[in-house]
Amino acid sequence: MYQYTEKDQQLVNDRVEQYRDQTHRYLDKKIPEDDFRPLRLMNGLYIQRHAPMLRVAIPYGMLSSTQMRKLAHIARTYDKGYGHFTTRTNIQYNWPQLEDVPDILAELASVQMHAIQTSGNCIRNTTTDPLAGVTPDEIEDPRPWCEAIRQWSTLHPEFAYLPRKFKIAVTASPIDRAASQIHDIGVHLVKNSAGETGFEILVGGGLGRTPHLGQQIHPFLEKKHLLSYLEAILRVYNLLGRRDKKYMARIKILVNKIGIEAFKEKVEAEWQAIKNSDLELPNAEIERLQSHFQPHAYQARASEDLTLEAQLNTDPAFNTWYKKNTAEHKQPGYRVVYLSLKSFSRPAGDISDQQMEAIADLADQYSFGEIRATFNQNLVLADIEQKDLYALWKALVTLDLAKPNIGTLTDMIVCPGYDFCSLADASTLDIADQINARFDDLDYLYDLGDIHLNMSGCLNACGHHHTGHIGIMGVDNKGEFYYQIRLGGSASEEAKLGTALGRGYPADKIADILEAILNTYVENRLEGEPFIKTVDRIGIKPFKENANAITH
Amino acid sequence: MPLLINRTVAEDNWLTVDKPTELPAGNILVPLEDYLEATEAFSAHSGKVAVEVTPDDDITPLLAEPNRFELIAIHFPDFSEGRGFSFARLLRRAGYTGQLRATGYVTRDRLGYMQRCGFNAFDIPDEHYQTDDVQAFDEITVHYQ
Repeated sequence: MYQYTEKDQQLVNDRVEQYRDQTHRYLDKKIPEDDFRPLRLMNGLYIQRHAPMLRVAIPYGMLSSTQMRKLAHIARTYDKGYGHFTTRTNIQYNWPQLEDVPDILAELASVQMHAIQTSGNCIRNTTTDPLAGVTPDEIEDPRPWCEAIRQWSTLHPEFAYLPRKFKIAVTASPIDRAASQIHDIGVHLVKNSAGETGFEILVGGGLGRTPHLGQQIHPFLEKKHLLSYLEAILRVYNLLGRRDKKYMARIKILVNKIGIEAFKEKVEAEWQAIKNSDLELPNAEIERLQSHFQPHAYQARASEDLTLEAQLNTDPAFNTWYKKNTAEHKQPGYRVVYLSLKSFSRPAGDISDQQMEAIADLADQYSFGEIRATFNQNLVLADIEQKDLYALWKALVTLDLAKPNIGTLTDMIVCPGYDFCSLADASTLDIADQINARFDDLDYLYDLGDIHLNMSGCLNACGHHHTGHIGIMGVDNKGEFYYQIRLGGSASEEAKLGTALGRGYPADKIADILEAILNTYVENRLEGEPFIKTVDRIGIKPFKENANAITH
Repeated sequence: MPLLINRTVAEDNWLTVDKPTELPAGNILVPLEDYLEATEAFSAHSGKVAVEVTPDDDITPLLAEPNRFELIAIHFPDFSEGRGFSFARLLRRAGYTGQLRATGYVTRDRLGYMQRCGFNAFDIPDEHYQTDDVQAFDEITVHYQ
């Protein structure tokens, strides 16, 4: 993975001291509250319902074991012994003290990490495919391009006070595992008819109050122009995006108001002025970035191992886990392993300091010391030799990280909701518990197949409810929590937004409603037809009727 | 209103004129909108004329010939407004070599970004000014952009 140069290190060190000084001046009342707010947000510090919340950047989801140990140390030392992985593949701490944050940032800088631009109206952490570099279906490794974007966007002097936050995702595979179509910019590595690799660029995706999927603004951009094209988009947005209303300020609103063609015209005009500037990526720089993401020293004869097959045949629990929680690796004899952070015993995405320490050790032992975070709030050990799978699985079982539910109904995306977030209208954690308690029969879940359930505690949609196959959104109705349910959304390469069943359901009925929806699917599905396809085929009406029958 | 020019406290040689009905003598700084509406009237002024850009302005007319002004000011009405950063970059790209001054809500914690976008003058309100503000320019010593 990427290793900081002296310059990279100097920048995060400088930023720590700059923020330390800002914090001191704020505490000395030399910076007014309103001015400190954007400064702390640009360093990931929110003031939440109970306490400050610090969001630490995990650029494109990549972590070393050393970094993971540091995250564990921070959880123990400055928080209550746990952290929470987010849909931007970042980690949040819910209980730090504002005064401690400069010291936390210094700890992070010591392992090449930071909290720069994890909040605020600026360019946020760039995300990518959690299987980057190891999946057989990718065109090339997207991570060097993510690192190029990370550097270009970090402390960019022009784009720190945008109309609103700005998110970029990069993928390099026909299978979209990064929800790229719901990003302000989606960057897809593609091949043209001449066999050359370049970028398809989408713009204007986003969820929240007015969800939109991204639209194509460039079908095939030459690689060396990536940063100049992004800069042109950002400059047009910075100048023309609405600033009068927070909910009208995302780039999706601008793109849809003036239309993708008019928007593209403005971007192209700006781009012509800067495409041949020093924003052009020289080959040497591209190669330098790529050199950090070379394949590991894989065992050439890993696939000759015979123990895996025997273990799969004799241990059904292992076999189930293997089928659900591991994925194909491009190197024969290796598998990608998902660590489920949806174990039922903790909120989705939560992880304790002991688990972090143990994962770091397992990564060192089995997976070249690297860990990845996914946008659906799980972790990945990407390079596991097949002979090690059984031992790894046993270790993960002990750590409560081997729940074989990846891709199933209980592998939910859940925002922290009302219990922590000051924006939320309704709680989410108790609803997730209710769903976990009802749907604890794994055989039933496997029979249902792939179902993505996404839940947010308000219309800001941090839990991606618009793109869940089943989406749940909490609303506050005169002090009581109700939950709207949507069906048919998807964040995949066939991304679409779900359709609401119409109204909110009371909190204590959510598991019943889900059961009615799932029964409707089971009754109507064709052989082998996944949930999302059945919803597409028969529409939401039968689901809605059966769901509404519960509350009547 | 301490004015920093090239990181040094400097005398302001320009008089800001909000409502340019009766022009005072000397060098004046007037709103771009007013200037564009009555360019000829201003050309009769005995002193020099500079313009101040506000976030809603279209700066296209300025980009054609920016160096006809010795000073262009860009106004920041509050801490969250960010269009002025792009205005500054566009003006410098258009070849503007004169004084580019940030006005309005100009505070220490944005000086570094402003300078890197092309500002070289900063009109800092008294209530925000500290003598060590000048240190803010060097808080971050390395840059990617």
